[in-house]
Amino acid sequence: MTPLHSLAARIGLIVVSSLVVALLGAIAIARLADAPDDGASLAGRIAALVSVLEETPVDRHESILRAASSRFFTARIEPTANAASTPSRAVERRLSSRIGAELEALGHRPSSVTVSRAPNGGRGLEYRIALETGGTLVVRVGRRAATVLGVPAPLATSLFGGLVALAALLAMRRETRPIARLAAAVDLLDPSGPRVELPGRGSSVREIAALIGAFDRLQNRLAHLLRTRIAMLAGISHDIRTFTTRLRLRVDAIPDDAERERAVADIEDMVRLLDDALLATRAGAGELAEELVELDEIVRAEVDDRRAEGRAIELDAGSAPGGAVVLGDRLALRRVVANLLDNALHYGGAARIALESDARAVVLTIDDRGPGIPEAEREAVLEPFVRLETSRSRRTGGAGLGLAVARSLVDAHGGSIGIDDSPDGGARIVVRLPRYRSQR
Amino acid sequence: MQAEPKIILVVEDDPEIRALVGALLVREGFRVEEAEDAVSMDAVLGRVGPDLIILDLMLPGEDGLSICRRIRARHDVPILMLTAKSEEIDRVVGLEMGADDYLVKPFGPRELVARVRAVLRRGSRAMQPPDRRFAFGDFVIDLDARQLVRRPDVPVRLTSAEFDLLACLVQRPRRVLTRDQILDWTRGRSADPFDRTVDMLISRLRRKLDAASPGSNLIATVRNGGYLLTARVRPVA
Repeated sequence: MTPLHSLAARIGLIVVSSLVVALLGAIAIARLADAPDDGASLAGRIAALVSVLEETPVDRHESILRAASSRFFTARIEPTANAASTPSRAVERRLSSRIGAELEALGHRPSSVTVSRAPNGGRGLEYRIALETGGTLVVRVGRRAATVLGVPAPLATSLFGGLVALAALLAMRRETRPIARLAAAVDLLDPSGPRVELPGRGSSVREIAALIGAFDRLQNRLAHLLRTRIAMLAGISHDIRTFTTRLRLRVDAIPDDAERERAVADIEDMVRLLDDALLATRAGAGELAEELVELDEIVRAEVDDRRAEGRAIELDAGSAPGGAVVLGDRLALRRVVANLLDNALHYGGAARIALESDARAVVLTIDDRGPGIPEAEREAVLEPFVRLETSRSRRTGGAGLGLAVARSLVDAHGGSIGIDDSPDGGARIVVRLPRYRSQR
Repeated sequence: MQAEPKIILVVEDDPEIRALVGALLVREGFRVEEAEDAVSMDAVLGRVGPDLIILDLMLPGEDGLSICRRIRARHDVPILMLTAKSEEIDRVVGLEMGADDYLVKPFGPRELVARVRAVLRRGSRAMQPPDRRFAFGDFVIDLDARQLVRRPDVPVRLTSAEFDLLACLVQRPRRVLTRDQILDWTRGRSADPFDRTVDMLISRLRRKLDAASPGSNLIATVRNGGYLLTARVRPVA
């Protein structure tokens, strides 16, 4: 991002460039208004002076010179004949030829023009003409630059303009800073977190105050929405448990064993799905509990449960003896392990689970011997629970949600989950969870 | 001659579940009393002394949690808690409520009967005096005597507010507690209701624990301003 992508810089640039243009325009206009005599009229004037001087007795010369002189035009007569000088610059040659042409009407006499730069910034011309009456007429034409406090006026004007522009820039920064601060604060907005106090609420600038107010209302609406959603889901979950409890008690009256077991399994799946949905929503809302959880204990318990049901699971937790501590929600972490294990068993028939931990993370690796998950579908099956399109849940009858729920819960714990190919031939799921490190 | 049937009180607000559970238990040879809320439960308790109470955690009016504590204070009847949420299990059977066992809804009839028989066989936990002495790190805290000891027998002096805070942490070990939660649980004892007092108390408590057991580092701070007792806590006799 270049500096020009900042609002302050852009407005500043507009101010500065318009100031520069205005300044240049003002200088040009001032120049035009009091443009110095151009060479032609000046040459004519000097020629006229020469002719008057030559036709007048020498004792009157002093008065004529005084009458002709002004602030910009001083004429004097040097007694020595010293009018020769070779023009060195183009402007000098041009002015010399012009004065030469004017003087030609009076008869030829030597003349020269030199251009000098006055120390105060003004430009001076010095005309030297040899008079027929003897001596040299020296005419200095020059505009002495106007100064302000000893500084030439154009420079002073630029400096003043620069100062104004600088002040404008600072004012601009001051006015746009609340917007930058607001943006930073809005970035911190998290409907699930604590309310973010937006900076500059009492801004006297109407637009900024309106913007801050709007963001504040948005923040309240988001938080309200989230709370309502959780409350609704919790309510539904409670009521469905009531219905399923009745159903579960009644289902026992089904005489056929196989039918009864299927009904019981359906009820369990239904409740579990609902639990997962509620858990994932709470995870997304930052409402999970935070406690120190030994992941190795959870893994061992979940593995034992499934082994007791006769499922084939290989466990390798030896590399993380008591060191797999995670700060998180016990139930949620149990759901992660349970979902991944059940998934592996469902698609792969058998599972191998390994737990390792390094300084920063606890890594859970689950391999199965199933068909694996094609690379193109990996991202899709890990879509967060809340963003699942309905078509998929319909297609899989809810059974495929395990990974999505696990992803939501792992995300909420600041961890990551990835899918790879297993050396066993099936899919490999790798879960990384930040390891708890004590800090004061 | 057959033994008197055991009396089981079912406290459940859903009439159908209550009826289904009641019928099931009657079929299994128990005598069943029913109550739909705390008020009718109290009425039943005034009339009969049940051998077991099956208590729903989510009840209208006074909830199961509070009822459980109330019963514990007066009776030693065993309590089997029915909960709708599996996440509440820790609290149900833990230090906070002291139910004897729990069942998560939905449950099967055989599961329920098995639990009921097991709890009846075992008798109530309330028969034993509750554990009020806990060991953590190098320390032993006695909640009744309000004493903290650095093992083997060096007493650590704490102010009343510091002791309350430590007691709060010890009863919820390894769990992140926010300032608000700590305030809620210790309120009524410590007079000062200001947020910063928790921070101040924590740092004073840390200094004292560290002085008594250097490097123990028992109280950790987690982001967003929560605190956590990192040590494992176990009850001691």
